[in-house]
Amino acid sequence: MVKSSNNSKQARRKRLASLSFSEKVKILAKLRDRSKAIAASRRRLAEAAEKAARQ
Amino acid sequence: MRATLEIINRMQADGVIGKYAIGGAVGATFYLEPAATLDVDVFVTLPASPGSKLLSLAPIYDYLKARSFKVEQEHVVIGDWPVQFLPPSNDLEREALTEAVEAEVEGVKTWVMTAEHLVAIALNTARAKDRARILQFLEQDAVNVDKLKLLLQRHGLLPKWKNFEGKYVDKDLNG
Repeated sequence: MVKSSNNSKQARRKRLASLSFSEKVKILAKLRDRSKAIAASRRRLAEAAEKAARQ
Repeated sequence: MRATLEIINRMQADGVIGKYAIGGAVGATFYLEPAATLDVDVFVTLPASPGSKLLSLAPIYDYLKARSFKVEQEHVVIGDWPVQFLPPSNDLEREALTEAVEAEVEGVKTWVMTAEHLVAIALNTARAKDRARILQFLEQDAVNVDKLKLLLQRHGLLPKWKNFEGKYVDKDLNG
């Protein structure tokens, strides 16, 4: 089971690596936006927790 | 990215920068599957100022600020990407710039460091993310190991490579 999952992961990585640079750069932009959204959400949660702790 | 590269190419045409090459995670993406990154590392040769031996990034920032691009710490936001301009800091990075390969993003011509130079620079920098990237290159067979070893030898990095191999490279990858 684990081996099959690793194989499919490898196949997916290979498929992604074989895309054109233009296509890969579009994925990079999506990953960047997602990372930024996660960071902003973490900041909001930390601020809310800080505010709650002060009250 | 298209807009970003068009502006960088314009900077080159206007003589603000000389040859350039994309390195870092975006450069690695030319050879590997995409990996999350927040910025683009652009290695640049800078035209020397007349009468000065010092190289300065100031002309780049002046050029971009005059065109209303936003500077955020060490980055300039061009198009929708924060770009970090990096003058080469050693012979390895100078060679990486000289030997960069031509690539194209959405019809715009650009240059990317070779896989071997990206791996050698990652080995030299040696942060956790650099080590992970080297392993990706090896796992995906995206680097010519013989060519890499010659390059590492030329730049005195073979001992570092042996150390890296001993610590991180699975025997299966070594063949």
